[in-house]
Amino acid sequence: MKIIKTLSLGVGLMAVAQFTTAAGAGNTIETVDPEADRMALQNFYKKRFPDTELDDYVNGIYSVDAASRAQWEELEEFPPYEFAVEEGERLFNEPFANGKTYASCFANDGVGIRQNYPYWNKQEGTVKTLEMEINECREKNGEKPLKWGKGEIARISAYMAWTSRDNVFDIKIPEDDPRALAAYLEGKKFFYSKRGQLNLSCANCHLQGSNVRIRADLPSPALGHVSHFPVFRSKWGELGTLHRRYKGCHKDSRSKPQEMQSDIYRNLEYFQTYMSNGLVVNGPGARK
Amino acid sequence: MKKTLLLSAAILLTPTWVMAETLKEAFETHRAMYGKDHTFTWQGKEYSTNHPEELEARVEPTQGNATALLELAKAENKKAASVGYEWKLTRGLLKNAEAAIKEGEYQRALNLAAQAKYHARIGIEQHAYAEKNWQLSVPQ
Ligand code: HEC
Repeated sequence: MKIIKTLSLGVGLMAVAQFTTAAGAGNTIETVDPEADRMALQNFYKKRFPDTELDDYVNGIYSVDAASRAQWEELEEFPPYEFAVEEGERLFNEPFANGKTYASCFANDGVGIRQNYPYWNKQEGTVKTLEMEINECREKNGEKPLKWGKGEIARISAYMAWTSRDNVFDIKIPEDDPRALAAYLEGKKFFYSKRGQLNLSCANCHLQGSNVRIRADLPSPALGHVSHFPVFRSKWGELGTLHRRYKGCHKDSRSKPQEMQSDIYRNLEYFQTYMSNGLVVNGPGARK
Repeated sequence: MKKTLLLSAAILLTPTWVMAETLKEAFETHRAMYGKDHTFTWQGKEYSTNHPEELEARVEPTQGNATALLELAKAENKKAASVGYEWKLTRGLLKNAEAAIKEGEYQRALNLAAQAKYHARIGIEQHAYAEKNWQLSVPQ
């Protein structure tokens, strides 16, 4: 008799790089150690790209690929996001119908605070992103929320990043609320899990595949991934938010992506930004 | 359907390869070399290179059978979505299967539904695999 076995992932599953030796190291709520994760990630790239200074990872692929760096530096001489930042400033200061402005919703009137996002909000039991609070500010003041991916929200976020340039990311995972660490762990797990028809994790492309040509593209190192968002992408021809990029990259594994600002993408942002602690805000950025 | 998984093999990001051949690997190799309807032996037992969904599509191409398989595929895809592992093209396949039924093309509908159901099943397996193994690729 023929035994028909259900078979599947096969080859794809073997493509996991096996780094771990000890079981249970950092993959449970009891063992996860964000600071150890951050150091391990830095060490991974230090070995992989010994010539790249840590501070330079905020420049994404250009920190490791000299060929495209020259082009990019030229682009940055006349930054394509300049107009968007000006427009963002105007929108930021334009009073709502009730006379208030965005400044009323944020610490320090919203100036120079990008480095503190995303953060764990204990009252709400969730990760809050800057874009989320921009929309909450609108709704609190009787305005309609903006669409998440591009347009006004990206410009306002770009202006707020601009006022925070060179401030150092300082994401905290408060110890008095275990749910914060759980959110971090969810984000980390998402980043390293293989999925989609191509059976790829974020890490497959951005760690093992960093600066390795995949079709026509060179994936950047994951360190500093978030520092320059929102970003003006030549491919988009406009400014887009981090979660727009998450959606696109999630799709690159041939998965159906999640919604922007969904719990999982916010947890992912929490994890990724924690990994970039110590690096500076350099948003908005320009990328190919 | 048969080409989909070979793509992942093409992306050779892998520094370490498991040497011993597992059943999954044997299946993939034989499937790639001989296509469906082939029998191979692994550790003394016989296996088929067919995916279970391919067999499910081998029924009389009637409206009833096509609709039944489509419903199963939809349910499976819902399960995949509920764990966050829905694939990008699956809904399109389901839609096309639905359209094929309307046009009376029941065999085509069966094939599309089978493909969608396969996507969903593998998505669910990926999730289970990731739950156990995701930490293997975290640098230490
Ligand atoms: C198939 C490979 C691939 C996968 C899988 C992938 N990415 Fe990407 N990603 C790229 C490429 C290529 C780019 C564009 C080049 C670059 O990195 O700037 C990019 C860009 C990015 C950027 C912007 C980097 C910058 O400097 O502007 C972020 C952030 C990002 N990816 C995050 C992710 C996350 C999170 C995941 C998992 C959901 C993921 N990527 C999955 C290939 C991939």
